[in-house]
Amino acid sequence: MSQRNVFVWIWALVVCLLLAHNVYLWFGKRIAPDTDILALLPVEERDPVLRQAFTRMVDSAQQRLIVLVGADDWAQARDAANAYADVLAQHPALLQAADPMTDPRDWLALFQPHRLALLTSKAEEDLHSQPKQYWTDTALAKLYSPFAGLQPGAWRDDPFGLFGRWIQARAQETPVRPRDGRLFVSDGQRQYAVMPFTLRVPAFSIAAQQAVMPLLEQARQAARKAVPQAQVVTAGVILYAAAAGDQARAEVSIIGFGSILGIIVLMWITFHSLKPIALIMLSICVGCLAALSVCWLLFERVHLLTLVFGASLIGGAQDYGTYFLCNRIAPDAQPFDSWQLLRRLFPALVLTLVTTVIGYLGLALTPFPGLRQMAVFSALGLIFAWLTVVFWFPMLVRAGTLESTPVAQWWAISLERWPSLRLDRSSLWAIGLFVVLAIFGVSRLGVQDDIRLLQNPPKNLIDDQTKLSRLLDTPTPAQFYIVRGNTAEVVLQREEMLKQRLDLLIETRIISGYHALSNWVPSAQAQAARRNLIDRTLLNDNGPLKALAAQIGENGEWVAATRAHLLASALPLTPDDFLKTPAGEPWRHLWLGEVDGGWASIVALRGLTPTGLAKLQHADIGLDGVQWVDKVGEISLLLGRYRKTMGWVVLFSYLVVYVLLYPRYRSVTWRVLAPTALASIATLALLGMAGQNLQLFHVLALMLLLGVGVDYGIFLHEDLSRRDPVGWLAVGLSALSTLLSFGLLSLSKTPALQAFGLTMLIGTIAVWLIVPCFRNHRSPELGRA
Amino acid sequence: MKSWSLALSVLLAATPLWADAPVAKIQSMLARPKVLCGHFNQIKQLTGLKKPMASNGRFCVVAERGVLWRTLQPFPNTVRLTRDEIVQLQGDRVAMRLDAKQEPAVRMINSVLFALLAGDLGQIEKWFLVDGGIHDNGWSVTLKAREPALAKAISSVVLEGDAYVKNITISETSGDRTSIVFSKIHTGDTAMNVDEAALF
Repeated sequence: MSQRNVFVWIWALVVCLLLAHNVYLWFGKRIAPDTDILALLPVEERDPVLRQAFTRMVDSAQQRLIVLVGADDWAQARDAANAYADVLAQHPALLQAADPMTDPRDWLALFQPHRLALLTSKAEEDLHSQPKQYWTDTALAKLYSPFAGLQPGAWRDDPFGLFGRWIQARAQETPVRPRDGRLFVSDGQRQYAVMPFTLRVPAFSIAAQQAVMPLLEQARQAARKAVPQAQVVTAGVILYAAAAGDQARAEVSIIGFGSILGIIVLMWITFHSLKPIALIMLSICVGCLAALSVCWLLFERVHLLTLVFGASLIGGAQDYGTYFLCNRIAPDAQPFDSWQLLRRLFPALVLTLVTTVIGYLGLALTPFPGLRQMAVFSALGLIFAWLTVVFWFPMLVRAGTLESTPVAQWWAISLERWPSLRLDRSSLWAIGLFVVLAIFGVSRLGVQDDIRLLQNPPKNLIDDQTKLSRLLDTPTPAQFYIVRGNTAEVVLQREEMLKQRLDLLIETRIISGYHALSNWVPSAQAQAARRNLIDRTLLNDNGPLKALAAQIGENGEWVAATRAHLLASALPLTPDDFLKTPAGEPWRHLWLGEVDGGWASIVALRGLTPTGLAKLQHADIGLDGVQWVDKVGEISLLLGRYRKTMGWVVLFSYLVVYVLLYPRYRSVTWRVLAPTALASIATLALLGMAGQNLQLFHVLALMLLLGVGVDYGIFLHEDLSRRDPVGWLAVGLSALSTLLSFGLLSLSKTPALQAFGLTMLIGTIAVWLIVPCFRNHRSPELGRA
Repeated sequence: MKSWSLALSVLLAATPLWADAPVAKIQSMLARPKVLCGHFNQIKQLTGLKKPMASNGRFCVVAERGVLWRTLQPFPNTVRLTRDEIVQLQGDRVAMRLDAKQEPAVRMINSVLFALLAGDLGQIEKWFLVDGGIHDNGWSVTLKAREPALAKAISSVVLEGDAYVKNITISETSGDRTSIVFSKIHTGDTAMNVDEAALF
């Protein structure tokens, strides 16, 4: 067997393995692409506490679905809610109604033994500042009030109403109230029934989404049928995941089928034969199979957005096959057999592959796992498509298999009529105009580093989410404080110090409140201090309790008995006691407990406005063990930082590519590279003129444009060295299919992919138009690459 | 067996009176004035206190406005319940203010109390199971809270009245018990005195 045949068979074996692995993955393992939006975001690797805090905040939301059913009056809202819940109740394996939050009065049993140490900060302040008379008046008012039954417990359990105030403050941590066996919230106009559900299937599973989404729609219709004007507001991670999944699947098919169809049409017009179409499809298929297989082996998952981006690979993967086929029909190639032809084309093929892979490397350099995966997927696809061309095409396409067609010849010859840059008047005018327009356009570019680039959920989902957060006054899951300490007690004490600062922010209306475990379980230090404070201020021999006794005609014996009764209810309360109970359930996510040798907790903020957020970001709280975490801000900063860094990487890559090309193209290397550079500038200028803001994904696309654009330079300059314009045909075919792929990608609803696609679209057109202007009319001496 | 039949006969004897839609009947007996003011005498029996605590004062129930509750003896204290807030005044000092924006239950509390004092059984039925009937020239009902949370705090409310509510007895699960007797009831525009008009 000749050496060539060995390669052919080895490659056949590789392709069989890939095929088998893919069959196993799709039909054996039944893999489903990942739809977790957060998989795109960088993971916090350095700090385990931060990582766990973020996971907690996310996990506490992930399997939850909250439904609000609203109507003008409560009875209607309740009827509609019942109709909604009835539909879901038939599928307990998918969704389960979560236990409604317990009423404040249900907490009583838990807190009664500790009530003396449970004080609001305002009450504590009052204990320090208010005179004796204030406390006797308070106790008497409570004693004679006919409405005392609305306060928890008997009068003598809380004669000064301190525990009542605390319970009230705890109840006010949420505006949701129990009513007629449902939870209720109102915005003043509409009355809403609040229904929390727990998802019993994973939110990111496509099968789960396909089962749950129609069910929710069915329930919504049932609610509407019961009460026609009922309004249903839903929020949950699964809704976002399902929407993202649907969108991505639609985009994969549009880009995939659109590109393939386009390539078939192009090939047919050019070659009038089915064989080249089959060959190109073969190389693309091997590329795609390999990309998926190897990606799965490396990452053990494939994100749906990777497939969206990967679908644009089709446009790139056909380049090598097209180049080979175009050269096969060139008249001066006829004397060679296909292996000889491959040897002639080999240096150019190597250079085009290397430069394109360098282009994708830009994506892999970012810390975003999603982008890395896209880069690896695309690079693998290209490499395997390339290898298929190199190992198989010479065997499959013999000299004379393909014939040149009139269209192909016309196209190749059209290069003759293309303007080219010389040192003449019109060229100088063109250059001058380009410089002016470039400066004008680029100067208009703004910047944009918002996290929303990575994800763009449908507007109705965002509206629902906003409405729900406003109605339920939920804290933001992406911005919070982390409090750390050596022991649980230290963490609680630090929380209390932080809360003193936060109370000032509430006064200035930057936030409306906070959630913290120490709201429920004060530090042991605070509990003891409060017990002493109450004993000293209210229960002493000469204090309000004694004065009160005199007013209501009781004696010293009663004073002693009441004091003993009150002091008996001051047992220490610990976080564990509280978190074990159902009342602690909604707050469990705040307590990170023992992590990494220390203790940590989360203090979450309510009612944070964007202006408030800006103020918080710049205000260092300056407390030991307290850290401000802003995941959204952090990612925006990261996007901005990488936008700048990648800008330099693009420039540096031009240098690297220049060095790579120099050994082969020598003095004309600049002609190979210049069209891509100019096209990049033109793209930026056009984006600026179109009022777009520059973002990381434009810059990353410029990186890839370098890889793709240089190919065209290479094709044309290789070709001109042989005085045969089939390279121009290859450029045209490549450019058209690339345009199709990335043009379709620019229709993506994910802003990042859209920006990427648009940049590639404009850039590729520009390179295609500019590349022949830089052709050299004298045949250069090519070095050996 | 004997006690069973006895209970049954009592029940049967009582049924015609009670089953006869007492709510609608009582509703028709009530005067339902726009403004209603009067005097009250309240006695509280609290666990841990030997003596019952007696107090008295004036009250006003104004339709679409709310309730004003002024304890005059032995300890002056005013509570004003309107749609959007509950305010407690000690003299001129605001001792407590609860806003419906902070505490969504305020509106519900106020409508419950308004309905109780006005004897609006149609409303009361939303929150309480109503049991009772008509006798001689008056009526009497026992209320049990439908809301489990409220039932945990208040074991029963007994209302008695004729054209107006005359007696309320509230029994709390904690053992505390409040009974209020209303008298000197005036209705119409002149029912409210100057002080009260200023407070409302």
